[in-house]
Amino acid sequence: MSGPMIDVAALSKSYRVHKRAPGIAAALRSVFRRRYETVKAVEELSFRIAEGERVGFLGPNGAGKTTTLKVLAGLLHPTSGSVRVGGHVPHTRDPLFLQLITLVMGQKQQLLWDLPPSDTYAMNRAIYDIPRAQAEDTIRTLTELLEIGDLIRKPTRQLSLGERMKCELVAALLHRPRVLFLDEPTIGLDVSMQAKMRAFIRDYNERFGAAVLLTSHYMDDVVALCPRVVVIDRGRLIYDGDLRELVRRVRPDKHVTIRLSAPVAAADLARLGKVVSADAGQAVLAVPAAQASAVVRDALAALPIVDLTIEEPPLEDVMRELFVTRAPDPTRTTLS
Amino acid sequence: MPITQLIPRYARLLRVQVGMSAVAAMQYRVDFLVRGLIAFLWSAVTLVPILVVFSVRDALAGWSFAEALIVVAWFSLLRSVLEGAVSPSLTAVVEHVRKGTLDFVLLKPADAQFLVSTAKFEPWRVVDAVGALVVFVYAFAKLGRWPALPHVLLALVFLALAVVILYSIWILVVSAAFWVVKVDNLSYLFGSLFDVGRWPISVFKGALRAAFTFVFPVALMTTYPALALLGRMDARTAVLALVGGVVFAAVARRVWKRALGMYTSASS
Amino acid sequence: MTGAAADLARAAKAFPTLLTIGFAEVVAYRAEFLVWILTTNMPLVMLALWHAVAEDGAVGRFDQPKFTAYYLAILVVRLVTSNWMAWQMSMEVRDGTLSAKLLRPIHPLYAFAADHLSALPMRLLYVSPIVVVLLVTSWGQIAGHDARVALVLGPALIGAWLLMFFSMVLLGTVAFYVDSAMGAFELWLAVHAIVSGYLIPLELLPPWARTVTDVLPFRYMLAFPAETLVGLVAPAAALRQLVIQWVYVVATAAAAIAAWRAGVRRFAAFGG
Repeated sequence: MSGPMIDVAALSKSYRVHKRAPGIAAALRSVFRRRYETVKAVEELSFRIAEGERVGFLGPNGAGKTTTLKVLAGLLHPTSGSVRVGGHVPHTRDPLFLQLITLVMGQKQQLLWDLPPSDTYAMNRAIYDIPRAQAEDTIRTLTELLEIGDLIRKPTRQLSLGERMKCELVAALLHRPRVLFLDEPTIGLDVSMQAKMRAFIRDYNERFGAAVLLTSHYMDDVVALCPRVVVIDRGRLIYDGDLRELVRRVRPDKHVTIRLSAPVAAADLARLGKVVSADAGQAVLAVPAAQASAVVRDALAALPIVDLTIEEPPLEDVMRELFVTRAPDPTRTTLS
Repeated sequence: MPITQLIPRYARLLRVQVGMSAVAAMQYRVDFLVRGLIAFLWSAVTLVPILVVFSVRDALAGWSFAEALIVVAWFSLLRSVLEGAVSPSLTAVVEHVRKGTLDFVLLKPADAQFLVSTAKFEPWRVVDAVGALVVFVYAFAKLGRWPALPHVLLALVFLALAVVILYSIWILVVSAAFWVVKVDNLSYLFGSLFDVGRWPISVFKGALRAAFTFVFPVALMTTYPALALLGRMDARTAVLALVGGVVFAAVARRVWKRALGMYTSASS
Repeated sequence: MTGAAADLARAAKAFPTLLTIGFAEVVAYRAEFLVWILTTNMPLVMLALWHAVAEDGAVGRFDQPKFTAYYLAILVVRLVTSNWMAWQMSMEVRDGTLSAKLLRPIHPLYAFAADHLSALPMRLLYVSPIVVVLLVTSWGQIAGHDARVALVLGPALIGAWLLMFFSMVLLGTVAFYVDSAMGAFELWLAVHAIVSGYLIPLELLPPWARTVTDVLPFRYMLAFPAETLVGLVAPAAALRQLVIQWVYVVATAAAAIAAWRAGVRRFAAFGG
C-alpha cells in the first residue's frame, strides 16, 4: 500500500478523573459537587510507521505508551489529532480494520480458561470468518515456529505462563494480521522464553511483512527486535529514530571493563576515567567514546590487566539518564 | 454487511459460543450434576409456601391453586432462561472489566454486545425448564382443560417479551459495571427481586404493586404470561406490555452503547 | 498455661484490634454492604403474600398484625445473625489466604469470628429502621410479654448467632475435601429455608412436620429468637427451648472444631 501503515499526527489524549479525598465527609460532599482533574496522557504525538517495520515504544511508567497503543487499536478515542492505521480510523472499529490488527498484552489472555487453546482458535476462526484450510495452515505454521505442538489440546488452566503466552500468540495471529501491537509481551517470562518469543516475533515479521509496535521494560526485547525506537515521556515525543543513535546521543560514554590480576589503587583507576564499579578483580570505567582507544592504551601500559572489553553502556542506563533528569511538569495536569 | 449475510453469520457464531459453553460445562461433570440437583431441590422448596397457603385457603388474591401453579411454572421457566443464558455471560463481562480483558472482546470484528451476551451458558439449568413443563401439565390437568392454541401462542409471545425485558435489565446492571466496578452484589439483589415473580401480582397492593409492574416489571414476566395462557389477558394490556417491552430493550441497548462509549472515552 | 488457654489469651489480646480493623473495612465497603442487606428481602415478600391470604381471616392464630410482627422479627434476626463462613472458607482454601492465616499465632476461627462480629454495628445500624417499624406496628404484642420471656431473649439471640457461626464453619470444612463448600451450602440453605421458619411460620406446617422442626437445630437459629421477640412463644416453652438451643450450640461448636482440626490436617497434608 502507498503511504505509511501507521500514521499518527498531533495525537492528544486527556482523561477527566474524578478526585475525591478519603473520609466520609468528602464522600458526602462528592455526591453533591464533583471535582474533576484533567490528566493529559498523550500530547501532540506524531510519528509514522511503514509496512513491515519493527518499532520499539519506550518510556517510563505512566508516559502514555499503553494509552497510545490503545488509541491505535481503536480501544480509546483520541481527544484530538488524527490517527490512521492501514488507512482506517481505528476508533470507528471497521471490521476490515479489526481484521488487520492484533493486540497482545502481557499477563492478560484472551484464551478461554477452562478449555484447550484449540477451542479458542476455533472460536476466533468463526469470529474472523477464516476459511478452515487457511486457519489450519496458520495454526500448523505458528505452532511449529513456537514449538508448542500438543500443548494446544491441554486446558489453558493447566499450562504454565510461558506455554500460555505462546498459545496466546497463536490465537492473536490466527487471522494473519498485518499490524501487531505488543504491550509488554514478555513480562513475567523466564529468560529463555523471552528469547524464544523475540525470535518468533522477528520470524513472523519477516515472513508475513507485518508491522510491529512493541512496548517493553526489558531492554533486551528492544535491542533484539527494534532497530527504531519512539521514546515518549509524560505524553510527549522526545525521540524518534535509530536505537544506536539514541544511545550515542544520550550516553556518549563507552564502558571499558578490565579484569585485573592484582589489586590496584582507586586513584590509579580514577585517573583513566570515571569509575562505574570496582572490586578486587574487576573494574568498569566510563570513558567518552572519542577517548576510548587512548584510555585503553594507557590502561594496558599502567595496570596489570588480564582481560579488557569495550562496550556500549546498558540500555537501562541510557533510559534512566534520559528520564531521571526531568523535574515534575506542572503544566500536565489542570484542575477544573 | 447486508442483513442476509449478517443473520447466518451471527447464527453461526451463536452455535459456536453455545458449543463452547457446553464443552466447558462438561469439564466439570460432578459440578454439573450437583448443581442440577440443587436447582431441582430449590424448585421443590419454593413450592412449599404455595402448598401451605392452599392447604388453608381455596384462593389467593383471586387465583386458584392450579392457576397459581401456572404462575410458578412460568417463573421457573423464566428463571432457567435467566440463570442459564443471561446471568452467566453478563457476569463474565463484569469479570472482564475487572481483569482488563474486555479489550479483547472489543478488538474482535463482531458486535460487542452479542459477544458478551453469548459468552457463557449453563446448560444444567434446563432442569428448571423441564420442571416448569411438568408443573404446567399438572396444573392444567387439575383445571380439567387444556389451553387453547391462540392462548398458547400469546403466552409464548409474552415469554419472548419477558426474556427481552429480563435481558435488558441485566444489560443495564452490567453497564453499571463500567461505572461502578463492584456490581456482583447487584446481581444477587437482582436475583432476589426476581424471586417476587413467583407470586401472582395481585398479591401485592398499592405502591409495591406499581413498583413490580413498572419499575422492576416482574409482573409482566410471570403473571402476564400466565394470564395469557389462561385466556384472561385483554388485548389492550397485551399491546401496552409489548410496546413497553420493546421500548425497554431499546433503552437498554442505548445505555450499553453509552457505557461502552464511556469505557473507550468516546465523549471526552 | 495450657495450649488452649494460651491461645485464648493471645486471641483476647488481639481481638480489639481485629474488631477495629474489621469495622473499618465494613465502613469502607458500606455501599456493597447495604446492597447485601437489601438482598435479604424474602421475608418481606412472604409478608406481602400472607397479608393477602389473611385478608379475609386469620390463618391458625396468625392474623395480619401477627404476620407483620413475625416476618419483621424474622428479618431482624436473620440480618443480625447472618453468616458467610462457608463462602469465606471456600474462597480462602482455594486462593491460599487460609494458609497465610494458619501461620499466624491467632487461631483462624478467632479471626473469622472477629470479622463477623465487627460487621455487627453496621448491621445493627442498617437494621434499626426495621426494628423501629417492628416496634411501632407490634408494640402491643411485645409489650405484653411475660418478664420471663424478656429474660430469654438476650441469650436466645446470642445462641442463634453462635449456632449460625458454628454451623457455617462445619459446612465450610467441606471445602477441605471437595473443590468448594458452596454445593453443600446451597443444599443446607434450601433445607434451612423451610425448617427454620424463614419462608413460613413453622406453626403453619402440618403436625408431623412440626415435630421434625422442633427437633432439628434450624428452628433455634431463626424462628425461636424471632418468635420470642414478638411474644409468640409461651413462657414455659421459652425456657425449655432456650435449653435445647444451647445444647445445640455446644454440640455444633464441638463438631465444628473437630471437623476444622481434621480438615486442617488434611489440608496441610495435601496442600492448598
